[in-house]
Amino acid sequence: MVGKDCVAIACDLRLGNQSLGVANNFEKVFQLGHVFLGLTGLASDVLTVHENFRMKANLYKMREEREIEPESFANLVSSTLYERRFGPWFVGPIVAGINSKTGKPFICSFDFIGCPDFAKDFAVSGTASDQLYGMCESLYEPNLEPEDLFETISQALLNAADRDTLSGWGAAVYVITKDKVIKRYLKSRQD
Amino acid sequence: MDIILGIKVQDSVIVATSKAFTRGISILKDKDDKTRVLTPHNLIAFTGEAGDTTQFADYIQANIQLFSMRENTELNSKSIASFIRQQLATSIRSRTPYQVQILLGGLNKGTEPFLSLLDYLGTRVDLPYCAHGYAAFYTMSLLDHHYRPDMNTEEGLKLLKLCNEELEKRMPIDFKGLYVKVIDKDGIRDIDFA
Amino acid sequence: MTQPATLASDYSNEVAQEPIEHRFNPYTGIAGEDFAVLAGDTRNTSGYNINSRYDPRVFDVGDNLLLTANGFAADSAQLISVFKNQLEWYHFDHNKALSPQSAARFIQHLLYGKRFFPYYVYTILAGLDEEGKGAIYSFDPVGSYEREQCRAAGAASSLIMPFLDNQVNFKNQMDPASHGTEKRPLRYLSLEEVIQLVRDAFTSVTERHIQVGDGLEILIVTKDGVKTEYYPLKKD
Repeated sequence: MVGKDCVAIACDLRLGNQSLGVANNFEKVFQLGHVFLGLTGLASDVLTVHENFRMKANLYKMREEREIEPESFANLVSSTLYERRFGPWFVGPIVAGINSKTGKPFICSFDFIGCPDFAKDFAVSGTASDQLYGMCESLYEPNLEPEDLFETISQALLNAADRDTLSGWGAAVYVITKDKVIKRYLKSRQD
Repeated sequence: MDIILGIKVQDSVIVATSKAFTRGISILKDKDDKTRVLTPHNLIAFTGEAGDTTQFADYIQANIQLFSMRENTELNSKSIASFIRQQLATSIRSRTPYQVQILLGGLNKGTEPFLSLLDYLGTRVDLPYCAHGYAAFYTMSLLDHHYRPDMNTEEGLKLLKLCNEELEKRMPIDFKGLYVKVIDKDGIRDIDFA
Repeated sequence: MTQPATLASDYSNEVAQEPIEHRFNPYTGIAGEDFAVLAGDTRNTSGYNINSRYDPRVFDVGDNLLLTANGFAADSAQLISVFKNQLEWYHFDHNKALSPQSAARFIQHLLYGKRFFPYYVYTILAGLDEEGKGAIYSFDPVGSYEREQCRAAGAASSLIMPFLDNQVNFKNQMDPASHGTEKRPLRYLSLEEVIQLVRDAFTSVTERHIQVGDGLEILIVTKDGVKTEYYPLKKD
């Protein structure tokens, strides 16, 4: 979600095998430099794709002698996923971050073969995406301050997850400003 | 229907596996050990498709031991977990994937207790306690209720006993009891679990 | 001598499947302290076609009851006409108004009566209970039902329902003064607040759901009777 000179990205913490909840500490948002990558989908691919992009972001950093910017990273995600067009990774990625040069907030979501959606307000992914669209579309307003953005994204996530049996079991929220990243864990329903 | 259970406590990891080796409707063996020792402080327990399990476990064991010999050092638990996951994640996209569920227990760097759950898809989670298969449905509620992270080995075994009683009571077939192993700073030892 | 060609279709028992109208538009019911509202958009679609931009499907069926049955359009029409008809018989037999409670139980019987060839509809009933408080009853296709404070059904119900949880039942909201230890206390919403919520919900869902749009019709039931309000929605 985009705010005024800030972005927020959030995920639930459940890992499940069908109806059985396996873990309540499975985070789906990863930090790569100052870019944040959220991954939903097949847990195995979430881990593999994360490892892959961590490597690519590190190689980029060594080659360019600077951290990768969110815009470039989004294009990297898109092309990397499309490489596997006919044997895809089963993930729904979201990229969020603030461009360190321009200070502009950036978010982007993808389908599992890398088609990017450069949204300017919010992007959602996962089993509760319908619910999240409903929540975000009705709660969101542009140019929120970081604290208000935190409340908005948290309420959107929590209430959407509560209407999806496969989502929930805790949540993690990152609020990203130009000079600070705040990570908070949310208490949520445990059913 | 195999049982694979792990509990991580204050200074050790407890791993329990069922003794029965089943094929179809028959129990072929009642003293089957479903674990492989990888290093003096790390072991894996496994279940899944009959041939795949031992083949994969042996392969992992050989590679970890080879590494230990070449580098003259014990690989830590996190690295082992990464290695196994990498193998499974590669395997799932091959023509003949290994159908194996794995539980890795050990002391990370010989000090910090470590327990990791891996499935045939290459999913990995590090957990305080976990189980594979149907055993999870019977034991997770007990573990959720009684588990505390500051338990010692003895309390951990007591909790395992509760799990065993529940399994004995609810499992539809005889699993011939559990092999129980404890991994602590002194290495791996079998526990006589009556 | 030539034999006339026999077409497979001459012997086919297949019924044309195409032009069956499915309506999965969202319907939202919210109960207040002394009123209840039942709202739905007025777009009628089949597949990607828009059949009508004004086809209201929330009905004032009499006795201060509002009814909508959402899903397979023919079943919906049938259910409502059966209900209306039986309501008249009820008046002849008993010479009194049907309470929402009894109406709900009756709808259960209508639906469960077709347990093995169900009306393919999600039903919502709104009215005022014996104490004059707003009541919403929601049903599944075979008659399971429940009284609720609010309910969304139909196409975009998965988008609207979490919003209603949050804004009507204050789910996941805490009392700011308690520093996150107390839930925000529940209270009845005013009619103005409810109408604003319903309008927000529908304008939001119109953005994201292709079957939703054109117009929003809100029926409001109070002790003084039923009022109807109409608000345009985007037509794209």
